[in-house]
Amino acid sequence: MLFKEVLAVKRVILFLSLVLLVSLTAMGAGTVTLTFSDWHLTEPVWEQSLKEAVAAFEAENPDIKVQLDYVSYGEKETKYTTAIEAGVGPDVMHLHAYSLRSFIEKGYLLDLTSFIEAEGATWYGADFLDPWYEATLQFMEMDGHYYALPGDFMAMVLFYNSELFKEAGLDPDKPPTTWAEFREYAKKLTRDRDGDGKIDTWGFGTPALINPGWELRFSPILFAFGADYLTPDNKFCALNTPEAIEAMKFYVELYTVDGVMPPGVTAVGAGNAREQMAREQVAMVLGCGWTPPIVNGINPDLNAFQILRAVPLPVKAGIDAEYTTTAWLSSWMINKNTKHPEEAWKLLKFITDKAQEEKWFRDNRVQSSRKDVSGGLEDPCIKGYNELLCDPFSKVIAAELTNAKFVPQIKEWPEIIEIVNIAAQEGLTGQKTVEAALKNAYDRINEILSVYREPGEACPPF
Amino acid sequence: MRGAKARLAQQNQGYLFILPCLLMLLLILGFPAVMAVLNSFSPIWSKGFSFTLENYRRLIHDVVFWNALANTLLFVGSTVALHFVLGLAVALALNAEIRARRFFRILAILPWTVPDVISGLVWRFMYNPTSGIINDVLMKFHLTGNYIEWLGSPSLAMPSIILADAWRGYPFVMIILLAGLQAIPRTLYEAARVDGASSLQEFWHITLPNLKRMIVIALALDIIWQFRRFGLVYTMTQGGPGRTTEILSIMVYKQYFKFFNFEYASAIAVVMAIIMLAISIPYIRTIVRRA
Repeated sequence: MLFKEVLAVKRVILFLSLVLLVSLTAMGAGTVTLTFSDWHLTEPVWEQSLKEAVAAFEAENPDIKVQLDYVSYGEKETKYTTAIEAGVGPDVMHLHAYSLRSFIEKGYLLDLTSFIEAEGATWYGADFLDPWYEATLQFMEMDGHYYALPGDFMAMVLFYNSELFKEAGLDPDKPPTTWAEFREYAKKLTRDRDGDGKIDTWGFGTPALINPGWELRFSPILFAFGADYLTPDNKFCALNTPEAIEAMKFYVELYTVDGVMPPGVTAVGAGNAREQMAREQVAMVLGCGWTPPIVNGINPDLNAFQILRAVPLPVKAGIDAEYTTTAWLSSWMINKNTKHPEEAWKLLKFITDKAQEEKWFRDNRVQSSRKDVSGGLEDPCIKGYNELLCDPFSKVIAAELTNAKFVPQIKEWPEIIEIVNIAAQEGLTGQKTVEAALKNAYDRINEILSVYREPGEACPPF
Repeated sequence: MRGAKARLAQQNQGYLFILPCLLMLLLILGFPAVMAVLNSFSPIWSKGFSFTLENYRRLIHDVVFWNALANTLLFVGSTVALHFVLGLAVALALNAEIRARRFFRILAILPWTVPDVISGLVWRFMYNPTSGIINDVLMKFHLTGNYIEWLGSPSLAMPSIILADAWRGYPFVMIILLAGLQAIPRTLYEAARVDGASSLQEFWHITLPNLKRMIVIALALDIIWQFRRFGLVYTMTQGGPGRTTEILSIMVYKQYFKFFNFEYASAIAVVMAIIMLAISIPYIRTIVRRA
């Protein structure tokens, strides 16, 4: 009797379990789960913004669930490469222009051309890609196929702490306009503020750690001095020019001669430089739209939005350089391994549409590569997002875009820029003279670029 | 005859038990190793197999590779030596009859429980020139008046990393040597004391000879593991300043994940594996001799 009762109970439990399993399966049936990966998820302000966007997307698309995948800025390429080579990886990703070309040429990204063409034209005859700046679209395509959509598009500018300027006896309304002036300002701003005999505030904070962020802070100096990394045809390294040597010398001597950067600069990353600004250890940094909210997030007492000022980067007196700053461009793409390309395309379209791009600005102060958000850089008649156009920082950043140059978009770029970064470190630490460090970099880069040259094409001497 | 058959059957049964584990090891370790070797000779993933020695030729002429190899030998030699000295000293202390011995043994192992990357981050904060505790203490005691750039100076970066790794890695050697010390019969020491031997003589004539096998095992394993060290060094300096702390593991990582030179990275990894195999010969000999 007892045995029959136990058996009956077991049968009931088994039946209920089966019912539960079937119900759960039925609930999940038809629901697609996408993985969305972005390094910004590791930044509190951006994380909140992205989560809100994802929630809005899921509300509009109840049959699609989005899982967030966190990755650090410095290691995102490593993580994505490993995953994609293994046949997996997040469905939708966010990358910086630094590695976009490599990913396109490696075949890691889904060809979006058919999706774009399927969108057709708007009722007034505009193509799907019309809202984006031409200057940004060119980096998203290869051989006539599109592999990504442009994201943030900004120029690097100079940020300074107006209170530290006043304390040092400098007029905050008269920021440096030439690099020679910048040098003098930086020296004055390097001071012992608390009277203990040690310098505790330096004029200039900049990263020199081997990191993609280094290039954004060195390139403006290089370009302003009339120099460049490579020749226009990308066949040769261009760091052998007197202008390039002078630019690197200027950068290195800010540290080795003037001492206007905090010690240990080769261990400082971009995030560390912003922390230094937030703690008033440095008075000036090169930054972008993300700088004020991040600095404010680190130290709200600083009142970053009030005391920080943004101005165009200095120029080199006597040189009419074509470019005086560097452009930042991010992009959104779909992993070629995605099992849900249609749904991934829906998410991609959502996060790059006008409403979301305006949200990215409102929440994170980053400017868009959409003309209908950032204004008509290429066509002044196009009105942008009013809040963006009136923002004191964004106005400067948007205006500087016409002076901004993109770094070379070749798949060898990550290796090339690291070689230059290392040359800068060798100069900063005195391991080599600037000339010797640049010569070494010049030779190595030319070796890498040999794939673009005809056999027998000789490199110019250093 | 029946006995031999039974022993063979038992042996075969044993092989059957370890077969799943062996298959897993072959899959997880063997397959990637074979693919890495093949990849070093050919871009198999993108273009199918076509044998070339180009990557090895490039390696031989690459000054960056030789620099990384020299750095690796310096790093491995220094850290293993420090691990041995610290490990032996702590093992001898913990082998003594002291109060709360178990507590001190747990304390001694703690550095080893901290993950590589976390160790690197913590030491990086401590070494920070302006806000790190090391400079702060040195300045408070007037041992220095300037901010010392521990990780930013070409002459100090590698020693700073070696010190950090010495702290993190000594417990592994300590555990092996402690096990060896505990296996030495106490009667040998008692007899030596009766004969009037000093502590130093006891250490030289009893401890060291009886620990020889464990020392070989500990050093061989430590050398192999130090050769592969990556997380701590990369977190602290990323191979800088310049290339003063760029070791082979960092070079492989950069070539593969940053520069997408898969075949060249595989060639460097193969060379590293060959070096580690050569180093492991004493270890294998010791184990086989014992068996």
